[in-house]
Amino acid sequence: MALSSRGGRSRFTLVLLILTSITVLTLDFRGSSAIQSVRNTASSVFSPVRDAASSAFSPATNAWDGLFHYGDLEKENQRLRAEIEQLQGQAAQNDEAKRALDELTKAVGITQWTTLPAVTAQVISGPLTNFEHTIEIDKGSNAGIKVDMPVVTGAGLAGRIVEVQSGRSVIKLLTDPDIVVGVRLKTTGDTALLHGQGDGQPLVIDAGIDPKVTVPPEELVTTSGEDRATFPGGVPIGNVSKTELAAGQLTQVLTVTPLTNFERLTFLQVLLWEPPQ
Amino acid sequence: MKYARPAFVIFVLLTLQTTLIADLQAFGATGDIMMLLPIAAGISGGRDRGAVVGFVTGLAFDLVVHGTPLGFFALGYTLVGYIVGAMQAGVLRAAWWIPVVTAFGGSVLGIVTLAVVGEFLGFEHLFDRHLLTICAVVAVVNAALVLPMLRVVRWSMPLVTRSGRLVPT
Repeated sequence: MALSSRGGRSRFTLVLLILTSITVLTLDFRGSSAIQSVRNTASSVFSPVRDAASSAFSPATNAWDGLFHYGDLEKENQRLRAEIEQLQGQAAQNDEAKRALDELTKAVGITQWTTLPAVTAQVISGPLTNFEHTIEIDKGSNAGIKVDMPVVTGAGLAGRIVEVQSGRSVIKLLTDPDIVVGVRLKTTGDTALLHGQGDGQPLVIDAGIDPKVTVPPEELVTTSGEDRATFPGGVPIGNVSKTELAAGQLTQVLTVTPLTNFERLTFLQVLLWEPPQ
Repeated sequence: MKYARPAFVIFVLLTLQTTLIADLQAFGATGDIMMLLPIAAGISGGRDRGAVVGFVTGLAFDLVVHGTPLGFFALGYTLVGYIVGAMQAGVLRAAWWIPVVTAFGGSVLGIVTLAVVGEFLGFEHLFDRHLLTICAVVAVVNAALVLPMLRVVRWSMPLVTRSGRLVPT
């Protein structure tokens, strides 16, 4: 009898906690300002503690990185040296091409993403859990950053601002399956939709490319920048590494290797550009 | 005063999780010592305590992470704490390795539970090969830390009888 009543109370507690969780989840999904405000306050209060603890633990995390990523760093160093040599050769050609492009875009009145004002920020925190694809940077609304602004690295698109406080912002990375980007293939000019597939996974275009289109190997994919696009046009994203026909063969599925290395983000640029409403 | 120690423990774990543990990645996955608290509470205090500690710990975690909706970890950890507590009730004799095995299994179950909750909430691509890596990393870390965590739980949340006496553990 006692056991049965204890079991009943346990189940009651469990149901109560589950219902409370679901209520909170529902409020958050509905964009409740109270929930957002509580979360922002908690985050602001906890941030100084995290900053202090991060500084204190940095020798340990650096040692861990040295131990477990030494081989990766060595390989990356060799690859970067080879790339620098290659890029030095291309630089001269690019200068000439850039001059011609500047003249043309000026004449037509197109805004290039490289000419947009930008804020450089440092990554202060990576994903805190295994279930999120966000990072934090050390610049916020004080630097003119607003929600939905695009974030780039020297290589290409990295993500989008999803949360802004006075001195820090949260970026949702391009690897998050929730971010969908309108893209254009460089040589064929076809437009399509690209999205992420999670950490360490390539990006994918699975809508918008006709099966008859021949996609060249290593085709460059950039943002399309079409009317009402959420990103400015022409920002490089990655190269097509694999093409296959989707089930039903109504479209091609393109696997895109991102140009940005999402595992080693240190400095980023937030483009002070807001998508049209 | 009764809640000062549990609050302190949650605060310390939250600080460790969002700094040291989040930065110590192995194979692209991080440990989850926040989940270890409801597991340890479930082992030492049963399903009720596991569920309540899971809810509070998860809610505290929800407040400082950005990529998941508020209530995600509260719901996941509540279920983990409850299930681990219920499983532990069926164990008659405690050997030192039973909590270790329970923490390992409970962590795998916890990650799968969070992935299922995530799927219900519309997160995509959670059930892929990387989930196995996450399960392995979280389970190994939690199995390694469960014995000291049990001491922390017994210090911060001692079990008392109705007459107010401490239950020997």
